[in-house]
Amino acid sequence: MTQSHVPDPDLLDLAVPYALHALSDAERDALESRLTAAGRTANDTFYDEVRAVRETMAVVSAANAEEPSAGLRERLLSAVADDNVRSLRPSKRLRTAWMSAAAALAIGLITVGIGVSLRPPAQAPSTADQVFAASDVHTISGAIPAGGTATVVFSRDRDAGVLVMNDVPPPAPGTVYQMWLVSDSGATSAGTMDAMAVAPSTTAVLTNLGSSNKLRFTVEPGSGSTQPTGQVIAELPLV
Amino acid sequence: MGAVVTQLLDRRLLDRRLDLPVTLPVNGTDNERVWLVTTADLDMLLRRVAQRDPEAFADLYDATRSRVYGMVARVLRDRGYSEETTQDVYLQVWRTAESYDPASGSALAWLLTLAHRRAVDRVRAEQAATQRDSRYGATTLERPADHVSDAVIAGEERQRVTACLDGLTDLQRECIELAYYQGMTYVQVSERLSANLATVKSRMRDGLRALRNCLGVR
Repeated sequence: MTQSHVPDPDLLDLAVPYALHALSDAERDALESRLTAAGRTANDTFYDEVRAVRETMAVVSAANAEEPSAGLRERLLSAVADDNVRSLRPSKRLRTAWMSAAAALAIGLITVGIGVSLRPPAQAPSTADQVFAASDVHTISGAIPAGGTATVVFSRDRDAGVLVMNDVPPPAPGTVYQMWLVSDSGATSAGTMDAMAVAPSTTAVLTNLGSSNKLRFTVEPGSGSTQPTGQVIAELPLV
Repeated sequence: MGAVVTQLLDRRLLDRRLDLPVTLPVNGTDNERVWLVTTADLDMLLRRVAQRDPEAFADLYDATRSRVYGMVARVLRDRGYSEETTQDVYLQVWRTAESYDPASGSALAWLLTLAHRRAVDRVRAEQAATQRDSRYGATTLERPADHVSDAVIAGEERQRVTACLDGLTDLQRECIELAYYQGMTYVQVSERLSANLATVKSRMRDGLRALRNCLGVR
């Protein structure tokens, strides 16, 4: 008795705005509730229309085709290769890479406290896996003025992120790059990278993002500092 | 038609290094046939991506990146945002490819729907945020766009779509532009155009129908 079997014309009118994502979240939720109550025929008609609109817009996408930068391809393929290799069949080459990078990082970690750990060859879902699988995954990428690119893929739900640095020139002898998670209450070290760690690319897992809203990179003397003292070479907003 | 599809798919499978264009160059192009080939190819790639095949992921990316990035860039109008969003889209593809159901539409439509959702979410979030320029000032990035490759999207298909878009009335095109490419809700579109909601909905619907017929989408 609560369900109407007469297709609601208002519902079908909303199929195009729905398919084009031209509803607010509240309007979409309300519409989906009405659809759930509307019965199968009304649903089939509605979703057929949605499907046709989406197929049409997929064809229309040819009109705006534009190439992204080559860097995007590299970042994606390296994220996916790491993800795949680690979870299914860790190769010797990759394990070696982890260990040398881990060794390079270890100095920094001992000095400044653990903020970064290279992802372990884990059996259970690693932090990186969890970040990639998070429903709130975000990517922020920026050029480092001295050269190279830093990309952070992160999730607030997981309170963690994965940093990928590509083609970053090594720090001057006697210095390291140090990463800082910066919040309104100050900066916390997220680890350091020396010349060995940055070339040609490196990946690090950032944990305990907390309330930080920036990832800052500075040049620090020796094996790192407890608070940022050196020149800021880059900053990525974690929002 | 089935034979043509099979033959082209075989060629792809035999030579994994072959660049996979979204529109395969079929002699004497019949639009419907090209579309089916595309659909079958991408379906297969998505299925392999669902099994965590990185080569299939690379092929899928190469076959679709200019469409996905182009659409996202049209919505976001900022190179940095667009690359980030495109990256998020493909990471989402990597982890959710198994949720693609061929019965509910083509792989390309699935992918572009997912990408459009993300682009619209982003543009709405940015509009809601207050400090757009200061936040990103320090980190704008990347080299300029490569030229659009005609090998990726055949010029012919682009022309066909452009012709169909030109066939819409100005009012229909404006509604679709504001909703799809500027991320407005239909209520916002009606406010912008000072038109009532029913009018906006019917312009959108009629415009989409005209496009669909013109493009031969069933």
